[in-house]
Amino acid sequence: MTLSYVPRWVVLLGMATLASGCAATTPNVQDFFVQTPESAQHRALQTRMFETSDEKELLSASAAVLQDLGFQLEESIPDVGVLRAAKERSAREYGQEITRFLFFVIGLMGEKVIFMPVDLHQQINATLVTVRSHTNRDYYTVRVSFWRTVWKGDGSDGDRVIPPGQYRLEMVYDQHIYQEFFAKLAKSVFLEANKI
Amino acid sequence: MKKIYAYTGLLIVLTVVMQACAKRQPPQELLSLTDPQLKIRSYQTRVFDYSDQNLVLRGVVASLQDLGFIVERANASLGLVTAGKFATNGNGIVELTVTVRLKGTQQTEVRLNAIFNTKPVDDPKVYQNFFTVLERTLFIAKG
Repeated sequence: MTLSYVPRWVVLLGMATLASGCAATTPNVQDFFVQTPESAQHRALQTRMFETSDEKELLSASAAVLQDLGFQLEESIPDVGVLRAAKERSAREYGQEITRFLFFVIGLMGEKVIFMPVDLHQQINATLVTVRSHTNRDYYTVRVSFWRTVWKGDGSDGDRVIPPGQYRLEMVYDQHIYQEFFAKLAKSVFLEANKI
Repeated sequence: MKKIYAYTGLLIVLTVVMQACAKRQPPQELLSLTDPQLKIRSYQTRVFDYSDQNLVLRGVVASLQDLGFIVERANASLGLVTAGKFATNGNGIVELTVTVRLKGTQQTEVRLNAIFNTKPVDDPKVYQNFFTVLERTLFIAKG
């Protein structure tokens, strides 16, 4: 018994539908310099106010929290109130392994061996900036943004070998991650983290 | 006589082949500015009536964050910030270098260079947008 009774076009159509989710167009450069409705949401998500006038203390506490979370500090500029840190982690996910298996099965029906590349490794980055509050001079605001680079492993599509090293960049906007960070920071400076 | 022809032929072939190995000098005008570049420079620069370089530098950092940029490096004494931003679909990267320098005693000059997917951005609107955001941030920061 063979699996090749599935017509080629059905396989192709199925693959095209799945792949179309990944299609991307090059954006306009002007779009990068416009504040969108999400900008304000992200700002609220990434910013907290602390009642202190000691910026250095706030920065060093932030550095300590980042260290506790496993980050390596890459850049620190106290005169501008900037910290940048990074950590590397595995990026393997079950969901992707399942998709990879499905593609493999679909490929078999078309008498083709398909190994879809999956996420292997990631670098998580953080940039943190302290700013004296404009509304209340006794407060400092801390704004942190997380983002990550994810690298894929290798794969194959029939005879064509897909080399490893494909990567993508994405911002992290998960509110739990930010809440966790600010809860730790508040504990570290013995101050309350106020929402803006 | 035939031998001479053969040698000459070989010599010509060798000369042609060797050309590929010759070290090429970079063109003399490698570093000079083209006319469009001169024009872009005027969009890229703006002078603000603030005498505090650090205040303006921090304003630049805050504006970049408000626009969703990631600050990669900064240097307070040189008044330097580099930042980047990628499209949500991961299909495009903008990289920026901003310099903040005192101009005289009362003013500060801000210069911004933007690169989109390794090509310099020559759209004046992009620079105008940034400076509008910066202006607003500085106005609020002054309190």
